[in-house]
Amino acid sequence: MARSQPTDPPPIDLLGPVLGEVSWFCCGTAWGPCSSTGKGACGTCNSGNMQHAWPNTSDACWSITRPDRCGDSLSRRTCGFRHKTTALCSGASVVTAIADCGPQTDLFCGERSCCGSTCASNRLIDLTPAAYSKIASLSTGLRPCEISTA
Amino acid sequence: MTSRRNMLKSAVLAGGAGIVGATALGSLGAEAAFGATSPQVEPGTPDPDFAEGRIRSIKGNTLLVLGSNMVFHNIRVVDGTSLWKLGPVGFEQAQPGDGLYARGVRMPDGVLAAESVWLNIVNIKGHIRNITSDKLHLDHNGKEILCHVVPGRSVAVHSDAPASADLSSLRVSQHVQILGAWRPGTNEVDIATVFSPH
Repeated sequence: MARSQPTDPPPIDLLGPVLGEVSWFCCGTAWGPCSSTGKGACGTCNSGNMQHAWPNTSDACWSITRPDRCGDSLSRRTCGFRHKTTALCSGASVVTAIADCGPQTDLFCGERSCCGSTCASNRLIDLTPAAYSKIASLSTGLRPCEISTA
Repeated sequence: MTSRRNMLKSAVLAGGAGIVGATALGSLGAEAAFGATSPQVEPGTPDPDFAEGRIRSIKGNTLLVLGSNMVFHNIRVVDGTSLWKLGPVGFEQAQPGDGLYARGVRMPDGVLAAESVWLNIVNIKGHIRNITSDKLHLDHNGKEILCHVVPGRSVAVHSDAPASADLSSLRVSQHVQILGAWRPGTNEVDIATVFSPH
């Protein structure tokens, strides 16, 4: 009789939309502290494009971001893959394509953002300024959100 | 919410838009403003309703901006435009040399009628190398950014706790995110918000 092998649970974003925190980052040619940022892991990232960073674009990326250390197991998604991010504060959403590796989730483990009684924990996605400003003011800096595949 | 976009278009097309810091359309900083329906942009591509760059000159109510990709933008500030520079400000605070991001409605003539303009805004992550009474020395991708505490303006947000003007609980080597306003031509930033995970 075959014995069943223990298996890791599937990544949470394969089970449906996932809640997390969303922030924004600059990339591509830019001014100020962003001027040396570069075009990201995919080589296509620009602040004015509808793009985002995802913590699991490759083994090398995962070894840096480590969302699993915060209890979040996210699926491998590579350059160009599309996610839909919905701000829980406004209900506005934006669809973007992966252009970089990030955010570095494990450095902010346990962090929580709320809109009233609606909260989400851990940084799971970073949007470019063009994308973030579609769903929230850049001056908010960090927001709870829902992420799903587009 | 489409009315906001239509009102911006109307304001520009009518040519009668004045220059004010506050908005006659309500607070554009409100979360609700970002629920506005606008055309979906192909993921991965540039958004025509968004602009980035540095102000080269200002003529009347128009910012002439050179994008970092060397594309020029004419950004029109109208009655409904909100401007941010470490906080909500009036149009007179926009200066040549300032960096900016702007979102609005692209007009047929290529002018961007601005809903929001964020001047010198940066949102950077790093670890704190040193703390003095009025400065944080941030290591951002191996480069030091000098972050100034601005009395009456700078706040810290520790996870989901309310924002606090008390930054004394920040520690050297801690990872933080700093939202602030860049001082053009320097590696210095005025702090609006320090986000700390704990």
